[in-house]
Amino acid sequence: MARAREKQLSEVVSELGLDKQNGAAIGRLLNHGGLGHVEVGSDGRMSIQVRIPEDELTYSPSIIVMPHAGELEIEFFNDDTNTHNATVPSNGDFQWLWLPNFSRGKVNVTLDGPGYYWFNSIIGNDEGRGLMGAIVVMGEVPEEAKLDRPPQPRP
Amino acid sequence: MTQEYIDAPAAINLGNLSSESGNAPPVAKDVTYERILEARENEPHNWITYYGAYDGQRYSLLDQINTENVKKLTPAWVFQHGSQGLHAGPSTYAFEAAPLVVDGVMYVSGWDGYVWALDAKTGDKLWQYKHAIPFDVSLCCGNVNRGVAVANGKVFLATLNAHVVALDAESGEMIWDTIHGDVRAAESATVAPLVVKDKVIVGSSGGEFGVRGHLDAYDMETGERVWRCYMIPKPGEPGSETWPEDGEAWQRGGGNCWVTGTYDPELNLLYWGTGNPAPDFDGEVREGDNLYTDCVVAVNADTGEKVWHYQFTPHDLWDYDSNMESILFEQDGRKLLAHFDKNGYFFILDRTNGELVRVTPFVDRINWGEIDAEGNVTPSIYPENEGEEVHFYPGPAGAKEWTHAAYNPETELFYCPVQNTGATIARRRREFKEGMPYWGAHVIVDVEGMSGAVTAFSASTGEEVWRWQSDLPVCASVLTTAGNLVFFGMPSGEFQAIDARTGEHLWKFQCGSGHHSSPTTYSIDGRQYVAVPVGWGAWTEGFLPGLMGNPHGSTIFVFALPEE
Repeated sequence: MARAREKQLSEVVSELGLDKQNGAAIGRLLNHGGLGHVEVGSDGRMSIQVRIPEDELTYSPSIIVMPHAGELEIEFFNDDTNTHNATVPSNGDFQWLWLPNFSRGKVNVTLDGPGYYWFNSIIGNDEGRGLMGAIVVMGEVPEEAKLDRPPQPRP
Repeated sequence: MTQEYIDAPAAINLGNLSSESGNAPPVAKDVTYERILEARENEPHNWITYYGAYDGQRYSLLDQINTENVKKLTPAWVFQHGSQGLHAGPSTYAFEAAPLVVDGVMYVSGWDGYVWALDAKTGDKLWQYKHAIPFDVSLCCGNVNRGVAVANGKVFLATLNAHVVALDAESGEMIWDTIHGDVRAAESATVAPLVVKDKVIVGSSGGEFGVRGHLDAYDMETGERVWRCYMIPKPGEPGSETWPEDGEAWQRGGGNCWVTGTYDPELNLLYWGTGNPAPDFDGEVREGDNLYTDCVVAVNADTGEKVWHYQFTPHDLWDYDSNMESILFEQDGRKLLAHFDKNGYFFILDRTNGELVRVTPFVDRINWGEIDAEGNVTPSIYPENEGEEVHFYPGPAGAKEWTHAAYNPETELFYCPVQNTGATIARRRREFKEGMPYWGAHVIVDVEGMSGAVTAFSASTGEEVWRWQSDLPVCASVLTTAGNLVFFGMPSGEFQAIDARTGEHLWKFQCGSGHHSSPTTYSIDGRQYVAVPVGWGAWTEGFLPGLMGNPHGSTIFVFALPEE
């Protein structure tokens, strides 16, 4: 146990077979499909590509990192030999995208503050098998939205 | 070989893949401040503001459903939604709203940023708005929202991630989005906004995380913040003498404003309750009375200035927020307000100046301390020594939670949902860190030996007139009507009606999940309806851990008499 703790979590998860289908568990442990940073264009627009690899039932990357709140374009590619979808949170409503076998499609979403937001495929138990990802919005709220008090210690 | 891809069908709003029509009739465009002022008298068929009227009485003039025929009440329609995806508080989401109704359209918020416009006659969904809420947002008390406000063609919502948004009341499209608080400081928002004149009034949540509570006003048309009233004074400001002189306690002092206030248009005063000081149970790090926590604060609606305050529990050590409503009423020509506090006492104040008129206990078991007839507070049992457990009544959920009492001017009785539950607390000091829970204690709320009631109190004497007794605490708001009825839901799922004059039990319906919301009533084409959101959850570990295993739910039940 002590040796395992010394390893990076991802290595331990992989060694055990939790980052593949029908390995250690039945499905794949959530959020073990890699991490990707969005690209920020010269116009400030944020975008990223996400793939569903064959027989992995995961989004790759399954952790999408935005440097700050705003609008994000996600282009999905389904490289799997099964049909899935993407249900992505956004202000207004979830954006829902069919993803038939070997298809590509885009969603544009607005996330207005720090935190992380789950997206998923709502077919069968795609979610439980691993098709669930997180969009992480980094950054702080604007100064005018902060409490009028000196900076406070954080964990 | 390069993979060829077909184009996926275009992305679409998930709500569009439902039976919703996508549009509501333009009933909200003419909802003005002037209409809200006269809401009860001029349009009793509607429920256009959180309490039904600015006075917070939760009293309706509708009397089609009455003590004689209430036993025939039956569901007219049901709206269900359920949980979608993995959202914040997947085990604590609850349906806590007070549905608003404007000329046949119901506007109601759910958990996790949902707002729905429904046909109030049929329950058909007209449109849906979903604000994206972070999974990791800081919530003391579950994934909840207490309702929306409607005016000038807009629907106003305070979101869990501390934004205030205005939606087009016809389409549900967002018009403006203003940041109200700092989620990294663990601020959130759960309150139903209140429209007063051209402003939207919104209070902050987050008192269990050591924030600095505030009440804000936003321009209804632009979303621009007009004023902010902090409920914890900075050094040198009035009230700062009630905090340690050389400490940092005021910076994390709590005093949040997470329940909708009431409003007297003649005095132009908002009556807004404030929450507990932080840390909740460790008073040694915040010596003093800790103003303006556990107060009702009279705030000038135009400027946000504090005009007067009354503190119900100075130097609170029991988590006795005073956010719950101040009900406005008149007696012998005197402008008064009534407030049932978590600390177990029923206060009547002169609302022109905050002077105490009368204070009386309203629950059987109070041993945390005593408040005498002059309002002097003498604490008896409280967490003091590190790690040493004490047991007191009422527990931190209070003898009455945030859920609302009602006042019937015909019977001249107040109806209070009562919780009679104790708790064991021990002080456990911890260092303050931004974004982390800051209770300063361990807490174990009783799972046995609790009870509850809906109790009627005389407006003129404060004395108990009748009581409908229960083995379970009553954790939901009550509604009273000119049909001489009092409606309320139970944690065990029953929606009940009792006689407002006697407390006689008249009718019940099992809704399948516990109640922690505010029922409202309205009529369409001459038919009266009673609507109640049902969905057990929120901070059940605090107010009724004995029923933490009860079924969840996410339903609005609407009742009416059978059609002729």
